[in-house]
Amino acid sequence: MSMQAALPVALIPGNSIIHRINPITKIVWVVGYIVLAFATQNIIILGVMAVFAFMLAPIAGITRPLLKGMLILVPIGSSLIALQIIAPAVEKPWTPAWELGGFVIYTDGLYYGLVLLGRIVASLIIALVMVMTTHPSDLFTSLAKLKMPYILNFMSSMTLQLIPVFQREFGIIMSAQKSRGMKGSGFAAVLPSFVPVFVGAIERVQQLAISLESRGFGSDGHKTSYRQVRARPLDWIIGVLGFVVLIGLSVISILKGLWNISALITFPGPFVAGLFFVCAAVFVGFLVLIAVFSFKK
Amino acid sequence: MPDPIIRFENVTFSYAGTDEPALHDISLEIMPGEYVAILGLNGAGKTTLGLCVNGVVPTMLAGDLEGSVTVGGLDVADYPVREMAKLVGMVFDNPEFQMSQMSAEEEVALGLENAGTPYEDMKRIIPETLKLVGLEGFESRSPLGLSGGQQQRLAIAAVLAMHPKVLIMDEPTSNLDPIGKQEVFDMAAKLNRENGMTVIVIEHEVEVMARYADRVIVLDHGRIIMNGTPQEIFGRAEELATLGLRVPEAAAIAAILSARGLWKGPVPITTEPAVEAITELLGAKNG
Repeated sequence: MSMQAALPVALIPGNSIIHRINPITKIVWVVGYIVLAFATQNIIILGVMAVFAFMLAPIAGITRPLLKGMLILVPIGSSLIALQIIAPAVEKPWTPAWELGGFVIYTDGLYYGLVLLGRIVASLIIALVMVMTTHPSDLFTSLAKLKMPYILNFMSSMTLQLIPVFQREFGIIMSAQKSRGMKGSGFAAVLPSFVPVFVGAIERVQQLAISLESRGFGSDGHKTSYRQVRARPLDWIIGVLGFVVLIGLSVISILKGLWNISALITFPGPFVAGLFFVCAAVFVGFLVLIAVFSFKK
Repeated sequence: MPDPIIRFENVTFSYAGTDEPALHDISLEIMPGEYVAILGLNGAGKTTLGLCVNGVVPTMLAGDLEGSVTVGGLDVADYPVREMAKLVGMVFDNPEFQMSQMSAEEEVALGLENAGTPYEDMKRIIPETLKLVGLEGFESRSPLGLSGGQQQRLAIAAVLAMHPKVLIMDEPTSNLDPIGKQEVFDMAAKLNRENGMTVIVIEHEVEVMARYADRVIVLDHGRIIMNGTPQEIFGRAEELATLGLRVPEAAAIAAILSARGLWKGPVPITTEPAVEAITELLGAKNG
């Protein structure tokens, strides 16, 4: 019966300073990061944010899992940059960097592509650091303190719980079908497993609802919490500091018209062209890999 | 004589969309502190009977209920299950489906949190309850990572922590190995004797019922067919056999011997008295 959560992103247990920071402080930082990332078009700020967030990983001892979680950036980043170079998301006229027949690529898009990517990278890294260093129960207890409705809170924590359960149930049904001579792997095998897994899920959830209600779930009275999350002075200092710096920079950025410094940076044509081909190749290669893996089995 | 804690008055219940009633004209009284075992084939209405006591039937599972079920003076049809939870704790047969929390201690805490128990009290009750079910040391383990027996004991702890007056266990040991079964029933017996908790067990294990229960109720097609002490019920092996039910081995052996005119005296329902009586019988023959 023993089973480990097979989620790609989950708590990496530890006792580092990052692990011990109050979840609300971490939420302040993550929200602040996201606000600033979308309030600025300053590529330097975005770069510094991403690097700073990444520097937290070795402190928390989560560098390897973090890098694994960041793999998702490979298809996103490569497609984003390649597409922005062919079709910049800015007003025309565009500055051509390189031309072959009717196919033109432009320098204008590169800056915006990097800004978009920077926003994603910075927000993703800080969010991953939070998720990987915070026990979900502490996170939900903290959210409850921030007056997040109990039901919403319960739903999110329940979902986290059910994912590995359904993964396992899926495995059991796939094995059962394999043992009866059905195709055991690949996409064609997954499809017929959906119905039994979801019927089982409904039954399970119904039983759970009865069991929860039998333990007073949903009663109107005052609720208490067994998990106690403390806020030390250090948590306050880090939280307030993060709030002031991140929101302050956001305000400055907005006042400066998003602080776009693209005029100060010119990318040489061959560099843009080279980057385009590298990104396009990475993205296409990624798609091919996925295709190969899903049809090979 | 105290008032019965549970009273069924002419209860007939059919689930929505079915014609055949799951319970048929049930009248029953259970006294505080009784240990009652409910016996019957699958589909005899045992689970429905249990669900009536905490009000899941008829408030959560819809259907047509006639008659009334009162628990501690409250008519279950008038109160939501979450209110009845203060009086009645219910453990179901599939422990894994009852788990919702990230750790064992939080699973036990859930009911207490819902009841608004202060943190200081929870800090005392939760380790106490985990110890009672033999799960100390498992506080921060994920419920889904526990073995079937541990999960079942955790499900029981989650209910016991709320200190209900009535504990209902619906086939609580179907996932357990023999030692695990023994532990669960010993624990229930202890709560029954020491804390005066009313215990209702729905079970197929007749040996266990014979050992622990004060009273056995036999259901068949939604009707109460027999209702008496284990001694009375398990002395009627033939009748039970016609219902497709068996009696403890000790009682079965006594019944066979008695048919051959070899057995005199009361029918034993547990092993020890049977061994005593048989030894005596052998001794009489040899000596």
